[in-house]
Amino acid sequence: MLNLQRWQTIAVIAFTALAVLFALPNVLPAVVLDHLPGWYQQSRINLGLDLRGGAHFLLEADLRSVLNERLTNLSDSVRGELRKQQVPFKDITVEQGRAVNVVLRDETQRAKAIEAIRNVDPSLGVSGSGDTIRLAYSEQDLFRRKKEVIDQSIEILRRRVDETGTIEPTIVRQGDDRILLQVPGIKDTTDLKRKINQTAKLTFHLVNEDAAAAGPAGAVPPTTMMVPTREGMQELRRSNPKAWEEIQAANPRMSPEQICRRYQPQCLPVLKRVIVGGEDLDDAKSTFEQQQGGRPIISFTFNAAGGRAFCAATRANIGKRLAIQLDNEIISAPVVQSAICGGSGIITGTFTTQQTQEQALLLRSGALPATLTIIEERTVGADLGADAIRDGTVAALVGTALVILLMLIVYGPVFGGFASLAMMVNMLLVFAGMSVLGASLTLPGIAGLVLTVGMSVDSNVLIYERVREESANGRSPFSALATGYERALTAVIDSNLTALIAGVLLFGFGSGPIRGFATSLTLGLLTHLFTATIFTRMLLSLWVRWRRPTALPI
Amino acid sequence: MLWRPHHLIRARTNFDFLGKRKIALVLSTVINVASLVGVFVFGLNFGIDFEGGIAIQVKAKQGNVQLEELRSTLGHLGVGEVSLQEFGDASTALIRVQRQEGSNQCVVNAERVMKRRAGDGWVVRPGPASTGDVVFTAPQALDAVNWRDAVSRVGLTVQERQLPRGTVNSAKIDMTPDQRAEWCQQVAIKLVEDTIGSNYELRGTESVGPKIGEELMRNGILAVVATLAAIAIYVWFRFEWQFGVGALIALLHDVLCTVGLFVLLQLDFSLTALAALLTIAGYSINDTVVIFDRVRENMRRYKKMGLIELLNFSINETLARTLMTSGTVFVAVAALVLFGGPVLYSFSIAMLWGVIVGTYSSIWVASACLVYLKLRPEQLRIDEEKAEKAKA
Repeated sequence: MLNLQRWQTIAVIAFTALAVLFALPNVLPAVVLDHLPGWYQQSRINLGLDLRGGAHFLLEADLRSVLNERLTNLSDSVRGELRKQQVPFKDITVEQGRAVNVVLRDETQRAKAIEAIRNVDPSLGVSGSGDTIRLAYSEQDLFRRKKEVIDQSIEILRRRVDETGTIEPTIVRQGDDRILLQVPGIKDTTDLKRKINQTAKLTFHLVNEDAAAAGPAGAVPPTTMMVPTREGMQELRRSNPKAWEEIQAANPRMSPEQICRRYQPQCLPVLKRVIVGGEDLDDAKSTFEQQQGGRPIISFTFNAAGGRAFCAATRANIGKRLAIQLDNEIISAPVVQSAICGGSGIITGTFTTQQTQEQALLLRSGALPATLTIIEERTVGADLGADAIRDGTVAALVGTALVILLMLIVYGPVFGGFASLAMMVNMLLVFAGMSVLGASLTLPGIAGLVLTVGMSVDSNVLIYERVREESANGRSPFSALATGYERALTAVIDSNLTALIAGVLLFGFGSGPIRGFATSLTLGLLTHLFTATIFTRMLLSLWVRWRRPTALPI
Repeated sequence: MLWRPHHLIRARTNFDFLGKRKIALVLSTVINVASLVGVFVFGLNFGIDFEGGIAIQVKAKQGNVQLEELRSTLGHLGVGEVSLQEFGDASTALIRVQRQEGSNQCVVNAERVMKRRAGDGWVVRPGPASTGDVVFTAPQALDAVNWRDAVSRVGLTVQERQLPRGTVNSAKIDMTPDQRAEWCQQVAIKLVEDTIGSNYELRGTESVGPKIGEELMRNGILAVVATLAAIAIYVWFRFEWQFGVGALIALLHDVLCTVGLFVLLQLDFSLTALAALLTIAGYSINDTVVIFDRVRENMRRYKKMGLIELLNFSINETLARTLMTSGTVFVAVAALVLFGGPVLYSFSIAMLWGVIVGTYSSIWVASACLVYLKLRPEQLRIDEEKAEKAKA
């Protein structure tokens, strides 16, 4: 019973070797690591924010006011459409957070009114009776919209927080209306909060075609400014990374004209006068053209004021280019094909779907779609994190040493040594598991490890005590080991599985650092099942075959 | 052989554990009732995780923390109740500020922060009482971009549509009362920072808004209930229903006793404390199941043994293991208490206590329950007959 099949021994050794392999990147120096494949490099334990320092924010999006705003816009559009179709109505009201109610003057006009409303938005749910029409968005529509708002907010946050692409923030959706933002290694959150706040400035300008025709050498009139194009800046980043870094680091920020003068990326002369600002842009999305083979295009919608200004400007400038400037770059300069009135328009060109999606996102990134309120904030300074690492390491080392000492005293050098070895292999497996999962090690996580050290020798204790009992009952060494091991096994499995229940639920309900604790504890219990049932057994059977003891030193 | 193993227990012991079950029952009841009463009379010292509020860890730039001076400065700041304690060593302190309610006092505070961070000319006033609106007045007219920049100095994140159109010198920021309460947390942090920033370095800040606190609390209670239920059901399926009930009662006992410790020592009851509760539950059930497993085995083997005798026998058989395992966990947790630093202190102390309580409850609560629940009535009768004979 005690002996393992040859393949089982090989499997155990292979498994342990694999664990060593996956835990290794944690301790390899960077020089060595750079020469190894990427997937292998990534097999590392991340330090949690509480250990490496950084900021953790939980933001809540105000979805209710987004909906209310949408309903208000809907009521405006419905009002306009009903007037246009000459359907008389008494009143149109917004039921906050729910629906728009239309009260008609004449009940018989109901069908016509509903038809008009369908023109505005065919997906609306229509209910009510008599002279009242109740308009509401469908559940799926609301759900989709909520998701859109959150996804969009996440994209905007990423863009704002990580302008330079070096910070590696974690930005994920949490629950229905929340966003978790974690930024490692920052000290001053004031700056970060300002960045979250900082709306990219989106403006529409006319291109000064005369100056553009004159080329880069031509003089620029005072009403015109040179602004780098997005492609131009990306080209500059590739060809002259040093210049690009200078621009990013400059404080105060360089104006577009300074950038054009100094670094001469591709620039366009645009009129300084702003036709419409991003605050008047309601929405922009990537869609496909109805005719002509369905090319990917970008469609956008203005509010009433923006629509009027845009209408006037496009009517007077057909055939000229209209530059769309985001912050200090021109993201696009489409040619005006016709007067764009009615508040919405499209941008066509030879785009791929990916490009239109990106452009639409850039257009929308002017403003966050919903107000984000900070409902939880935790920041840890780097030196506080360093303290925590030191405390945690010392506690873990001392705890491990004490447990090993106790095991050696009570079970002697042979069996105590086996138990200590099994425990260390267990720790190795936990580290390997956390590395493969890319889990974060937090301070409570270290506490979980220390606890695992204490609890993971339990199986050896169970087995050894049973072996002592069987020995005392007069069994031979080999028989005592085999029976003791076999009889202790149910207790080992039952006790670990029940403790595992606590660990898994802790993981499910816990958040932040607690999750780190649950991760290391749960992994510890799982790997412990392996070391207790197979690894220890292998050690014992190998030892018995090697020494052929006449009495057990236990 | 380098040295011989040292047995914790030399020979098979024969303690009458369950003979003391009446005393244990009284003891457990007293502790549990005391814990419950303590929770309601003295209350738990809820950390900011559940109560909402602000915790700031500061380190004196020079020398030690002047606790008294800090206490009086911050106490009169107008951010509500402030408590201070040394944290780790004499140069570090933990400042706790109560949850901010979004009162008009908070708007006054916001003005102080604005004057300090954006210039003397700023005025901040509350809007109509039924809303959470706040009206900012600047010393000069500002455009939207500058407005956003200015209000971010008091930690206010605003959206394009909340800002005024054009260049004006006064702006009303629309907020619901709830949003204002969340913002006031930011205001309080900034005010504390401004007030003590010259002498103290802020090493870490935690702010939990009113809303999230309630949620964390609800999730926490749910986690404990779910864990206990899941464990009890598992034990019930693997053993018999009496074992499941016994395990459940023992776990409730452990959780209550630990909560009692938190009341007694007024330890910070935070998310980590909750983790400690669940871990103690995990440890305790581990210990209980080992005894139960032996009881089950012995019940198959000794059908004619009295129930109490059999339980005692099983507990004695597993006693060496019980002592050894609680010993190893105890030394590991003791290392955490001594070296784990101030952040883990509450957790480690609770765990240390939990190891003792969990070991006790496996014997005197979980196993004793099997007697009270009449696991094997016919075997229990054998005990009674023996007791009768002994009397006669």
